[in-house]
Amino acid sequence: MTKPVVAGVGMIPFAKYPQRTLVDLGAEAAFLALQDANVAPGRVEAGFFANAVGSRLFGDSTIGQNVLWEVGVNRVPVINVENACTSGSTAFYLACNAVAAGQAEMALVVGAEKMCVPEFGLINSGESEWDTQLGLVAPASFALRAQRHMLEHGTTVEQMAQVAVKNRAHAAGNPMAMFREPITVEQVLAAPMIVDPLTRLQCCPIADGAAALVVCSEEMARGLGSAAVRVEAVVLGTGGYESPQDLARWETDFRVCAQAYEKAGLGPEDLDLVECHDAFTISEILHYEALGLCPPGDGGRFVEQGHATLGGRVPVNPSGGLLSRGHPVGATGVAQVMEVVSQLRGQAGPRQINGARIGLAHCMGGDKAGDTKSCTVAILGI
Amino acid sequence: MHTDNEQDTLPLVPKGIAAEAGGTGPVLIGGHCPHCRRDFFPRPRYCPGCMRPPQERLLSGDGVIYSYTVVRIRPPLGLPQPYAVGFVDLNQSGLRIFGLLNHGDIDRLAIGKRVRLKLGPLGQDGGGQACMRPYFSLVAAEGDDD
Ligand SMILES: [Zn+2]
Repeated sequence: MTKPVVAGVGMIPFAKYPQRTLVDLGAEAAFLALQDANVAPGRVEAGFFANAVGSRLFGDSTIGQNVLWEVGVNRVPVINVENACTSGSTAFYLACNAVAAGQAEMALVVGAEKMCVPEFGLINSGESEWDTQLGLVAPASFALRAQRHMLEHGTTVEQMAQVAVKNRAHAAGNPMAMFREPITVEQVLAAPMIVDPLTRLQCCPIADGAAALVVCSEEMARGLGSAAVRVEAVVLGTGGYESPQDLARWETDFRVCAQAYEKAGLGPEDLDLVECHDAFTISEILHYEALGLCPPGDGGRFVEQGHATLGGRVPVNPSGGLLSRGHPVGATGVAQVMEVVSQLRGQAGPRQINGARIGLAHCMGGDKAGDTKSCTVAILGI
Repeated sequence: MHTDNEQDTLPLVPKGIAAEAGGTGPVLIGGHCPHCRRDFFPRPRYCPGCMRPPQERLLSGDGVIYSYTVVRIRPPLGLPQPYAVGFVDLNQSGLRIFGLLNHGDIDRLAIGKRVRLKLGPLGQDGGGQACMRPYFSLVAAEGDDD
């Protein structure tokens, strides 16, 4: 098995692009990644395109072929990936596997989403399940976790608000982030209540955006002259869906994180940074625990004590995370990997973590029977 | 305001997960695998343990709130604004299931309180018509000052 590396990254700032199409957004990110890797499109042997809501909003399908054609990638296998919020990280997982298996020496991953349109409602996991028909919307499933975490572990609304405050402070150093103005705990708690106890500033904003990665074999990367970052492990897991689910200790999250550490032969103590799926403030607190950054139940205190802040023990979401970068669903998982790559290459500008060698990107998506539909973890090193 | 008669004619949404069961009040339509001795809600086509088809089992809707929240934003699916949801631990089957909570109870909800399944008018269906939904309602406990 060949070890895959990331040889090129590209993204456009996450924002609202009312005048641009989904294909246009994706193509620009793909172009930037190819340019960063210093490769011609003819060398790409497989394409993986991630998008979550385009078919629902625009009635479009197999969008990946349209995007990749714009940057000169045709004739090769192109696969369209939909896996809720992990669509982008699943595309990355597939590309790494294709390279590791020798099926493609170089693969292009593109994640793109356009969701800032009037037709867009509230995210849920689709309307075919009985629980979504009974009003289970994404913020509610995390609010239900927050309520349990507060009861069982004494986590406070102030601690949850600190996740939003920290990630906004980090975003000040990231020109790709949608929201970069600092906020305070008081502002977070005074924002309109969305789903008790989560206020609007504790829920990630929707956005338009795109991000792309060039994944190739180590041998090929040597000839390119760009700074390649090794993929030490990339794993994808789904939920167990048994009843009863423990909402304060997420079994699927713990299981998939442990699997990634085992595969990489690394542990939480080795990490210089983490990008995780902070769709809601409580999500990030749960992920600290699943990732083993702190003991179970201590997530609220972990952020309160500054351990997850730039300059702290393990900076989490130095990019600003979903909460500040914005969440164009199909692009998010790709942008997370790009942030880790930029940090390991020493190209993260004012938010650079000095001497970062190992970083982790974690993503989660969808909801079923009190569990997640998908969880991905990638560990990268230089 | 509906009379009992009118209520009986309202459609129940979603279909197939709850029903009135004569004298015992509303029940959840679940499944049971005698081979694996497991209960399910809703009833799956195949038992995930042994792939045999589970039997239908009517599950008591008596339980305890495991977690709850109030959705205050513009509601989906014709639900009222605000509306409450939660996970309920069912006493009899031990299942922990998601459900609507009585929005008349919003100010009195708490983890650990006893609830009972009801079927009643709650919001509108996809066509904008009043409909019935299954929801859990607080049961006054002894010594409760509510
Ligand atoms: Zn069975």
